[in-house]
Amino acid sequence: MLLAACGGSSGGGSSAAVPTPAPAAPPPTGITKPEAFRFLNQATMGATTAEADRVIAMGYEAWINDQLARPASLELPNLQAVQPPPQNSGDLHRNRVDMWFRNAVTGQDQLRQRVAFAWSEIMVVSQVGALANLPYAVASYQDLLARQGLGNFRDLMESVTLHPAMGVYLSMLGNQRPNAAANIRPDENYARELMQLFTVGLVELNLDGTPRLDGAGQPIPTYSQPVIEGFAHVYTGWTYAGAPSFGQARPTPANQVVPMQLYASFHDPGPKLVLGGVTIPAGQTGAQDLDAALDSIFTHPNVGPFIAQRLIQRLVASNPSPAYVSRVAQRFNDNGRGGRGDLAAVVTAILLDPEARGPSTASTGKLKEPLLRLTQLWRAYNGHAANGSFAAFANPGPFLGQGPLQAGSVFNFFGPDYAPPGEIRALGLVAPELEIATEYQNTQLTNRLRTYAFRNSRTAGLTPEDIVIDLDAEVAVANDASALATLVADKLLAGQVSTTLRTEIVNLVGRYGTTAADAPNRAAQAIYSVVTSPEYALQP
Amino acid sequence: MPPIRPSRRDFLSIASTSAAGLLLARPHAAIGQMVGGSAPFADYRALVCVFLFGGNDSFNMLVPRSTAEYDAYAAARQNLAVARDQLLPIAPTISDGADYGVHPSMPGLQTLFEQGQAAFVANVGPLIEPTTKAQYEAKNVLLPPQLFSHNDQQDQWHSLRGRTISETGWAGRMADLIRVNVAGQQLATNVSLAGNTLFQSGGDTVAYSMGATGPTQFAGFGPAGRELEQRRAFERIINAPYDSIYARAFAEVQRRAVEAADRVTAAINQLPPPSTVFPTSPLGQQLQTVARLIAVRSELAMKRQVFFVSTGGFDSHDDQLVNQPNLLGNISACLAAFHAATVELGVAGAVTTFTQSDFGRTLTSNGDGTDHAWGGVQVVVGQAVRGRRIFGRYPSLALNGPDDVGGGRMIPAVSADQYAATLARWFGIGDAELASVAPNIGNFNERDLGFMV
Repeated sequence: MLLAACGGSSGGGSSAAVPTPAPAAPPPTGITKPEAFRFLNQATMGATTAEADRVIAMGYEAWINDQLARPASLELPNLQAVQPPPQNSGDLHRNRVDMWFRNAVTGQDQLRQRVAFAWSEIMVVSQVGALANLPYAVASYQDLLARQGLGNFRDLMESVTLHPAMGVYLSMLGNQRPNAAANIRPDENYARELMQLFTVGLVELNLDGTPRLDGAGQPIPTYSQPVIEGFAHVYTGWTYAGAPSFGQARPTPANQVVPMQLYASFHDPGPKLVLGGVTIPAGQTGAQDLDAALDSIFTHPNVGPFIAQRLIQRLVASNPSPAYVSRVAQRFNDNGRGGRGDLAAVVTAILLDPEARGPSTASTGKLKEPLLRLTQLWRAYNGHAANGSFAAFANPGPFLGQGPLQAGSVFNFFGPDYAPPGEIRALGLVAPELEIATEYQNTQLTNRLRTYAFRNSRTAGLTPEDIVIDLDAEVAVANDASALATLVADKLLAGQVSTTLRTEIVNLVGRYGTTAADAPNRAAQAIYSVVTSPEYALQP
Repeated sequence: MPPIRPSRRDFLSIASTSAAGLLLARPHAAIGQMVGGSAPFADYRALVCVFLFGGNDSFNMLVPRSTAEYDAYAAARQNLAVARDQLLPIAPTISDGADYGVHPSMPGLQTLFEQGQAAFVANVGPLIEPTTKAQYEAKNVLLPPQLFSHNDQQDQWHSLRGRTISETGWAGRMADLIRVNVAGQQLATNVSLAGNTLFQSGGDTVAYSMGATGPTQFAGFGPAGRELEQRRAFERIINAPYDSIYARAFAEVQRRAVEAADRVTAAINQLPPPSTVFPTSPLGQQLQTVARLIAVRSELAMKRQVFFVSTGGFDSHDDQLVNQPNLLGNISACLAAFHAATVELGVAGAVTTFTQSDFGRTLTSNGDGTDHAWGGVQVVVGQAVRGRRIFGRYPSLALNGPDDVGGGRMIPAVSADQYAATLARWFGIGDAELASVAPNIGNFNERDLGFMV
C-alpha cells in the first residue's frame, strides 16, 4: 500500500552516480523538544520522539510542506484486497477500523490522517445507524477525507455531498422530486445539516467567528425554512450509480464507493431558493442545480470563520481568540494567491499561528480526545498485535466513548459549544472533549489505558490478536525507578513532567520487586501513571 | 375539548393529600437563609426522563380513530399512515370528542393507559408564549430560536431557555433549588445513564454519570497493599494543582468518579435486581439499572432523584415504516417493564416517568420518511399520574389547518415549560420557584397541566 519515500531527510537514493553536492546544513530551528511535541500533538495522531527530531531538524513549515506532499494512506484498497471478501458487514467494519488504526499509528502521512480525523468529526458519517451494512462506503468516505481534506473546500464539499455514505447517512440518496398528490416533498435532512453543521452554521458570523447582531442585539439566522426547502429540492434525483432504475437502486460493494448518479426524471425542475438570496432558475439539470447551490454555500461569508473555528477546535484549541479565527478565516478567503477554500493553506495557518506556537496559558490548548490519547501511546510505544492487526479493538466505543467514524449521530461524539459546569463555564469558555469525559467514561478509559499499558510483548499467554506495546528500553532501566520515570516522561511528555507525577511514579514503581519478571510491570506502571494523568490528557 | 383542570383546585388537592412533600419543599426560602427552613424532604420521589433522540414521530404513536379525525390524519400522512383497524384502541375517561388509539407496536403502553397508569400530553413543544398560526405567520410572537433544528430544540427541552442563553437545564435547576432539602444524600440528585446532558446541568449542582448497567470501578484499585497505594497515588495526582483549566476540569471528573464508584457499586449490589424482566435493549438496560438504584434509595439516603435515560434512532427521514414499529415497540415494552418494577418495589406512586424528544415530525412524507417539525405527543407514566387521560389538546391534523405552519408542522398547544412545571410541582418545587425551573411559565395561564395527582 503506502510506503512512500521513507524518512525524507537523506536526500540521496537516486539511481545514477551523479555526485550531488551535499546540501548546506539548514540553520538550526531552535525548536525545543516540548515545543515539537506540542506541535505534533496538534498536527499528528500523537507525538513521538522520532517525529519530534524531524520537526526540530526541519522546522515547522518545512515539516508541514513535506507532509502535504505525501500521498494519503487509504483504507478501501486494503478492505477490497481481502480474499475471499468477508460477507459479514461487522467483519468488514472490523477490517475498516483496523486500517484506521494502522494508518493512525504507523501512517507516514500523519498530517493528512489528523486532518481527516478532524473532518470526520465535522462532516460526520457513522458506522452506527444506516451505514452499519455499508462498510465499504464508510472506508471510502474516510479515504475521501484523507485525500481531499487538505485540498479545496469546494471540492471537498461536493465530494462529500455526492458520496453514497453521506447520501445514505443524511438521506439525500433516493430523495426525489415532490409529488403533490401524495403530500410528498423532498427530504430536508441533508439540506439542513450541510449548512448547519458542515459549512455555515445557524447564524451570520463576523470574520472573527463572533455572531453578527441585528439592531436589537439578536443574532441573525443564516437561512430560513424556505431556503432549506430550496436546497432539499436541489438534492433530488441522486442515488447509487449504475442502478437499473432510480427505484431499483440497491447498494453493492462497487456502487457504494463511487459518487452517486443523477437520474434526471427524479430531479425537481422548478426554481429553488438557496443561500445569499439566490434563486436557481427552473429547468436546469440536477448537476447544474447542485453546482449553483454549492456555490451559494461556498461563497457565503460564514464559511471561512465557521470552518476556521471548527478546524482550530479539532487541531489546536478549544477557545481560539477571535483574532486567531480571523487570521485563519482570512486565509480561507484568500490563500495569498487569490484562491478561496485552500485547505492546505488554512491548516498551515492554523498550525503556524502565534496562538498555536506561542506560550501556553491556562486556557490555550484543549483536552486530548480518548482516541488520540490511545494513538499517542501506541505511536510512542509501537502498539501492535503479532498478526499485524488492530481488529481486536474494532469497537472502542464502550471503552473510549468514541471510535473511528462511529459517532452516535451527525452531531459527533461531542459538540463544539459544550461548556462543562464549573470553572470553564463560569469563564464563558467551552471544552468540547469534556462532553464525553463523564465519570463513567473516564473510568472506562482509565481502565482501558491500564490494559494497554500493562499488556506488552513480554506478557505471558498472548494471542496473535492481542495489541501490545514494546517496553525494551524501559525494561533495560526498570530497576532504576528514577531513570525509568525520566525515560517514560521523555517519550510521552517530552520530559515536561510535574514533580507530583514523577514522585508518584518513582514511589509506585518501587512497590514492585526487582526480578526480571517484575521489570515489565515496573515499566507498565510508569506508563499507566502517565497516560491516565491530567497532564497527559492535556494538549497544551 | 381537552380536559384541563383548574390548577388552584389541583394545588389544594395535592397539598391536602401530601402535605409534607409539597409544603416542606420551600427551597427558595431555605437557600436564601441557609439556616433554618431547610427541613429535609419526608418522602421519596423520583422523575425519570426518557429522551427519544432524533425527534419522535409521535402523531403515529397516538392517532385519532374516529372517522373525521382519522380521515384528516390519513389524508395528511398518506403512505406513512397507520391503518385504522391496526390501531390499539384506548378509552380516555374524559373525551375531547374524538376516539384514539395507539400504534400497533405499543400494547404495553395501551395497557398502562387503560389501567390509569399513563397519560398522554398532546401537542406539547417549546414555546415562549402562547402562539397561534396567525401570530406565527405575522411574526408578532416570540418563538424559540432555530425551530426544527435537532440540537437547538433538544436544548430547548433540556433548558427551557427560550431566547436567552442558558447553560443549565431544568432538572439541574431543580437540584440547585432543593439541595439543602436533600443534604444527606450520598449521590447527586441528578443521575444520567446516558452521558452528559444539559437537562441535568445545574448552576451549583453536578449530575453523576454512570453506564447503562451502572457505575464502573477503577481497575487495580484495591483495599490494601500495592493496589491501595495505586489508588492513593492516583488520587494525589488528580488532586495536584494544574495550570490548565482543561486539566483541572478533567481531574475534577476523575475525582468524582473515584469518590462515588465504590459507594454506588456497593449500594447497588446490596440487593438483587428486581425480578421484573426488562427488554434487553439499551433503554431496557438503563431502566433496569434505574430500578436497581431506586431499590437502594434508603442505603444512599436519597430523597429526590432525577434519572436521565435515552434511546435514539427517531430521526426517521428514511425507512420510517420499517423502523418505527421497532422504535415505538421498544418504548412501550420498556415503559411497561419499568412501571412493573416500580410496582414490585412498592414505589409506583413515588416514581414518575416521562418522555421528551427533539420535536414532532412533519405529517407530510418525504417519500419514505418525515422531516423535522415542532409539537408532538409525550407520555407520562406512574401511579401519581392522572392516568387514562389526554392532556393538552390534540391538534387538527389537517394540512394547512389551524395548527399547521406548513408541511404538517404542528404549533404546540401547550409548552414544554408547562409540561416541566407540572412535573416540577409534583417533585416538590414550590410555586414561587417554578419560574426558575420553567422560565417562560409566567407567559401561560395554566401553570400546571393537571396530569399529576
